[in-house]
Amino acid sequence: MARYDSLLQAVGDTPLVGLPSLSPAENVRLWAKLEDRNPTGSIKDRPALAMVEKAEADGLLTPGCTVLEPTSGNTGISLAMACKLKGYRLVCVMPENTSVERRQLLRMYGAEIISSPAAGGSNQAVAMAKKLAAENADWVMLYQYGNPANADAHYRTTGPEILRDLPGITHFVAGLGTTGTLVGTGRYLREHKPDVQVVAAEPRYGELVYGLRNLDEGFVPELYDPDVLTARYSVGSRDALRRTRQLVDQEGIFAGISTGGILHAALAVAEKAAGAGESAEIVLVVCDGGWKYLSTGAYSGELDEAVEGIEGHLWA
Amino acid sequence: MAVTVSIPTILRTHTGGEKSVEAKGSTVGEVIDDLESRHSGIAGRLITDGSLHRFVNIYVDDEDIRFAGGLQAPVGENSNVTILPAVAGG
Repeated sequence: MARYDSLLQAVGDTPLVGLPSLSPAENVRLWAKLEDRNPTGSIKDRPALAMVEKAEADGLLTPGCTVLEPTSGNTGISLAMACKLKGYRLVCVMPENTSVERRQLLRMYGAEIISSPAAGGSNQAVAMAKKLAAENADWVMLYQYGNPANADAHYRTTGPEILRDLPGITHFVAGLGTTGTLVGTGRYLREHKPDVQVVAAEPRYGELVYGLRNLDEGFVPELYDPDVLTARYSVGSRDALRRTRQLVDQEGIFAGISTGGILHAALAVAEKAAGAGESAEIVLVVCDGGWKYLSTGAYSGELDEAVEGIEGHLWA
Repeated sequence: MAVTVSIPTILRTHTGGEKSVEAKGSTVGEVIDDLESRHSGIAGRLITDGSLHRFVNIYVDDEDIRFAGGLQAPVGENSNVTILPAVAGG
């Protein structure tokens, strides 16, 4: 069905498209789940809407409430759209080293932004949001890192869509941030096909992002369930960017940089399968389009210069 | 066999400020033991009660060792071992 009563109903049911040019062999095929086709252009529309509706159902959110969320971008934009349509005020806590487009989109939807220091990364944004939540008892922090409605959105929608469209799936590859996509989708897929491999691609940033991080103040999202995963790759900025460009070049898909990181891990998995002479049907997530990252210079000029341009940025 | 180990800023007090150091070993555990023999105190920052610190991630050629055998994860010749603190995304 392609008719909806409002934008909020148009979340999900995204296309799964083959990547014939990037697939290494006839029996090792890559498929892209185009999550940029969601209403605000990213996969985060699914968990954001689910978290808002769960909070409404639980009676936590009532008209005029203030919603608070630590976010490096996409979740904030999804929430901003949902909050605008539903009549909530939104306050986002966001590291200052995120792209200018994300900030513009948030403001356009009427969200308020509180910046956290670049050196503290998302960890510090989370810490600041928790402090604000404690100081403002009437604000509702949805808290994507620990809210079961986040993973549940993927368990109920992303997972079933993929299995419906590709019953022969052998691998699912997605980005690791809140861990909601991997844990929710992965759990659904493995319940229905226990042999499915669930592979995480985690962004590895430059020195600046990790610089002042104390090991004892590390952060693992409450939603994370390592038992659902079967492998986890760390992908650096250079590989992520190289693959992002390759995806446009060979398959015509204009995606954001985190998708390049996911493609890098998916290709590693594909090459392993091809090398071992095994068949594979590999689904990877296209988290968002490239629009929000144009100002970083990611898509133009020499790769080395572009890599330098995104160093220090939170690109996932 | 020699491998290159990338050290996060927070642990460079143990390596005299070096960003990456050479080490020997055929498993991650052996590499850490070898590091400890020259950079005293580093193992204690990485391992608690015999297993990897909750907020430390170690990768062999970009693959997280927790899914590849943990401290027994094999390390090939010329492998890159990367140590990183756990960070949030999203």
